Amino acid sequence: MLNSSRKYACRSLFRQANVSIKGLFYNGGAYRRGFSTGCCLRSDNKESPSARQPLDRLQLGDEINEPEPIRTRFFQFSRWKATIALLLLSGGTYAYLSRKRRLLETEKEADANRAYGSVALGGPFNLTDFNGKPFTEENLKGKFSILYFGFSHCPDICPEELDRLTYWISELDDKDHIKIQPLFISCDPARDTPDVLKEYLSDFHPAIIGLTGTYDQVKSVCKKYKVYFSTPRDVKPNQDYLVDHSIFFYLIDPEGQFIDALGRNYDEQSGLEKIREQIQAYVPKEERERRSKKWYSFIFN
Amino acid sequence: MGLFSFDGGKKESQPPNTRSQRKLCWESRDAFFQCLDKADILDAMDPKNSKSIKSHCKVENEKFEENCAHSWIKYFKEKRVIDFKREQTIKRIEQEAKQRERNQ
Repeated sequence: MLNSSRKYACRSLFRQANVSIKGLFYNGGAYRRGFSTGCCLRSDNKESPSARQPLDRLQLGDEINEPEPIRTRFFQFSRWKATIALLLLSGGTYAYLSRKRRLLETEKEADANRAYGSVALGGPFNLTDFNGKPFTEENLKGKFSILYFGFSHCPDICPEELDRLTYWISELDDKDHIKIQPLFISCDPARDTPDVLKEYLSDFHPAIIGLTGTYDQVKSVCKKYKVYFSTPRDVKPNQDYLVDHSIFFYLIDPEGQFIDALGRNYDEQSGLEKIREQIQAYVPKEERERRSKKWYSFIFN
Repeated sequence: MGLFSFDGGKKESQPPNTRSQRKLCWESRDAFFQCLDKADILDAMDPKNSKSIKSHCKVENEKFEENCAHSWIKYFKEKRVIDFKREQTIKRIEQEAKQRERNQ
């Protein structure tokens, strides 16, 4: 740096530069004075000893050429670095905003589902879990839940759906460290006693809780969640039968409100991503209400 | 035949509803249905096909009936017909779409 600055300074004063450089080369005072005189003579007469001319030219050449490469490299490096930084910043900003926009859309969707027209989907219910304990809508609060309506004597759809649920619960727990409460509500209370459900569900994820109840209790909760189910007519005692029912997973937020339904159009991966998205987009009720009072609330509506 | 359907002992003969038993049921169903495919039989519940099923797929049918609950047997047989018709419909629609593309 010091050397460079010297050279820069020298270059601006052509005549002095020569003098200074010569001074650097020859330490004797007498020699310095002599060469200074030589410079003057050269400029006046344009004649000087041949031995001197080559030296002067060489020195001049060095002066002119040496600083340029440093400056050029400096600017090239700086421009390149700035370009890279700018691209990274742009990419990062774009990715961040895209993700925010998507989560916001998911949140709007959840909010719309909470309202679901004039009547909200879901609501109070009274069921019994597979340990014989009462289970109501209060048990849905404080954590996300996912509900599936089926029955244990189901030939193929329910086992497939429960395997899918098992996959989702395991992945969310292992990778996201999210505990979501999986519930299996039976549409066949006549046969699905707590013991039957417990045995049936032991083949799937241990976190799945089986729920059953009286016929009226089951009918009531199915009505609240708009679940269609149908037992064939004229079923005789001990007769084998199947129950028709709609096939959906219902996602419930920690306030116990319905926010999404996953049908057969979701496979293992897309369903998992959807659940993740809903959980990430979740905004507590207090925050939702607080936002609606801000002047910029239109952004969220 | 109708008299037997009200047999009180039928419930006891129902296979247990476990993962392994379901697997057995599904496998015997698949084997039976493959046999039906070879014999060119679609509807296993059609009385017209009962003789043909006996001569071609007796063993598979017996295993199917042994490993699956009665209501499941009925369900799977009905589903086989429904699935076939749905596939036929999809193929026809696709062919019609291709035809339209060629005409344009």
